[in-house]
This record gives sequence, C-alpha cells and structure tokens, in this order.
Amino acid sequence: MKRDACTRLLAEKLTDEIVVTNLGQATLDLQQIADRPLNFYTFGSMGQCSAIAMGIAVSRPDARVISLDGDGSMLMNLGQLCTVANEAPPNLAIVVWDNEVHQTTGGQATATSMRSSLAGVARGAGMEKVLEPQNEEEVSAAFDRILNEAGPFFVVVKVDAGPAAGSMQRDLLRYKIRFMQALEALPADRPTALAIR
Amino acid sequence: MAQEGWSKAIADALRRNGIRIYATVPDFIVSQVLEYLWADDECKVVTVTREEEGLGLLSGAYLAGQRGALLMQNSGLGNCVNTIASLNVASQIPVVMVISHRGDLGEYNAAQVPMGQAAERVLEALEIRTAMPHTVEAFEAEADGLIKLAYTRRMPVAFLLPNDLTGGRYSS
Repeated sequence: MKRDACTRLLAEKLTDEIVVTNLGQATLDLQQIADRPLNFYTFGSMGQCSAIAMGIAVSRPDARVISLDGDGSMLMNLGQLCTVANEAPPNLAIVVWDNEVHQTTGGQATATSMRSSLAGVARGAGMEKVLEPQNEEEVSAAFDRILNEAGPFFVVVKVDAGPAAGSMQRDLLRYKIRFMQALEALPADRPTALAIR
Repeated sequence: MAQEGWSKAIADALRRNGIRIYATVPDFIVSQVLEYLWADDECKVVTVTREEEGLGLLSGAYLAGQRGALLMQNSGLGNCVNTIASLNVASQIPVVMVISHRGDLGEYNAAQVPMGQAAERVLEALEIRTAMPHTVEAFEAEADGLIKLAYTRRMPVAFLLPNDLTGGRYSS
C-alpha cells in the first residue's frame, strides 16, 4: 500500500478531528494532502508524536485525536503504549505507517522488517483495539472505526517504503499558534462533540 | 534533615498556579510531593514509562490549554534532553519540571553522581531558568514568579531540589 493514498483515505473522512503527525514522512504527507489548522506537525522529538496526541486527548475529551506515527519513532518509545493502554483515553487513535525503514535518514531497515511486530507489542502492552488492515478497503474500514467508535485504537498499516512528495514547511511557531487557536476555538459543546466519560 | 513542610509547599505552589496535569517517573523524593497530588481529585497524575514521554504528554496538554508539570529525578532530566530541546524549546512550549537532585552532597550511590553533578549545567545549556531552593522560605520566594515566567516566556523552567530541602535519600 502507498502511504500517501492511505493518508488521503483518512483526510477525506476528517471533520473536526485533531491530527498529530510524526516528524518526516507523516508530517510532509499531511502538509501536502490536507493542511488544516487542527493538524499539529512535529519536526523533531522523535518518539513523542503519540505522547503529544495523548496529552491533547486527555485534555480535550470532547475531541477525537489521531496520531500518525512511524515505525522507527514508535520503536524509540515503546513504553508509551503501556501508558496509553492503562490510561485508555477513548478519544485517541494511534496509526503507525510501518514502512519497515528509517525513511527520512535514507531507508535503513528497522526492527519491524525482521522479527518484530508493533501490533504484537501493542497487544502485550494491554491495547485491546489493535487493527492490522491488509489492503486499502480494510484501511478505509479501520479509519471509519477510529472515527466513530470508542478507543483507544492502535492501527498498524504496512506501507511501501519511499519518501513523501513535495517540500516540507518548517515554520514551527506559526503551525503551533495556528493549531492552538483552532483548538481553542473548537467549542466543547458543538453538536459533533464526543460525550465526555 | 528535611525542611518541615517542603513537599506540601511544592504541591501547593503547583496547584495554586493552575497546574492540573502531572506526569511522573516517581522516585523516593518527588513521591512525597506526589502524595498530595494523588490525593487531589482536581489533579490528574499520569505515571509514564520514561520521562521524555511525560514531556510529550504535557506538551500536548499545553497545546490543548492546560498547564502541566513533570516530577522526576535528575536521572530523568538526562533522559529528557533532546525532547526539551527539539520540542519544548524549539516550539516554545512551557512546562514546569520538579527535579530531585540526586548525586550531590551526601550521595551514597556512585552511579547517581555524574548526572547529579551535570544537572545544573545541562539545564543552563538548554537556557532553562532554574531555582535551587535550600529552604521552604527560599522556595516560596521564587515559586510563583518562576512558574509565571515559564508561561510568559513560553519556555520550560525547573525546580532542582537539593537534599537540604528534601532530606534527600541517605541510605546504603
């Protein structure tokens, strides 16, 4: 599967969800395909993308939060899966684009190209809703679930290696301020707000 | 000898400055502060697996309008360095760090010493304004101002807690 095609499948379904993206390919893909104020892009702090998403999720239980993470970055911070599983924010979904390489640094193999399974790690960490869609139809169905059902979800999508198209915009402060303003302006009592547990 | 009331003074300063979400990898010293936060229904405390994960979590909380604090040992500061730099400093995301200072006066564990001796200079290298109060009075004199500065400057700040404030952990 192609990562950008899967990103488009998600983007087409987005309304008022928050999306946090991992440095490198996930950030560049989403900038190119669906730049929007409720995206928070990361450009460094490898391993922290899904932790940031969780912090937003526990602070804004009325909003769904989707982390678009990568296999290399998730491998750097596997412990966070235990925190997510035990804290269990129902409005959080972690999607890992698993291309089995460190794409941004030149395509060096990661552990998921060998014996290691992130889905297996997530189950061991205590995550209950772990999805491994095998084709675009199943990816689309997985996205429907994370956008409509209580989580937390962990979705591993095996994608082809290869760099995202386009050039990345790295204006960290502008993106941060735009995101904070958009989130602050999102009323917690809007019709599409999640019921707060 | 610990200063009487040091741990409640810290918990109270954090709470009266609007900090409601906390991340921690606990140690013997900061757990004495956490006791008050765990017991407070208005405070959410998340025990993370590694300190930098706590920074990610609290940064997300700040983006969503909440103030957060990370409670850890100075060994955890070592685990946090790149995230402090590339997330909190680079994107101007404030956080309050409460750090127990192991590896300094009276330390019994040699493994704690190098990071303990480096802690102040690591914070300084990252341009993090730090208070090192040796008494409860010294803590109170700086606490509100340092926390306010974090959110005005949009930068992390740190309270590095010496043994003469906390009583440390003397054992062998």
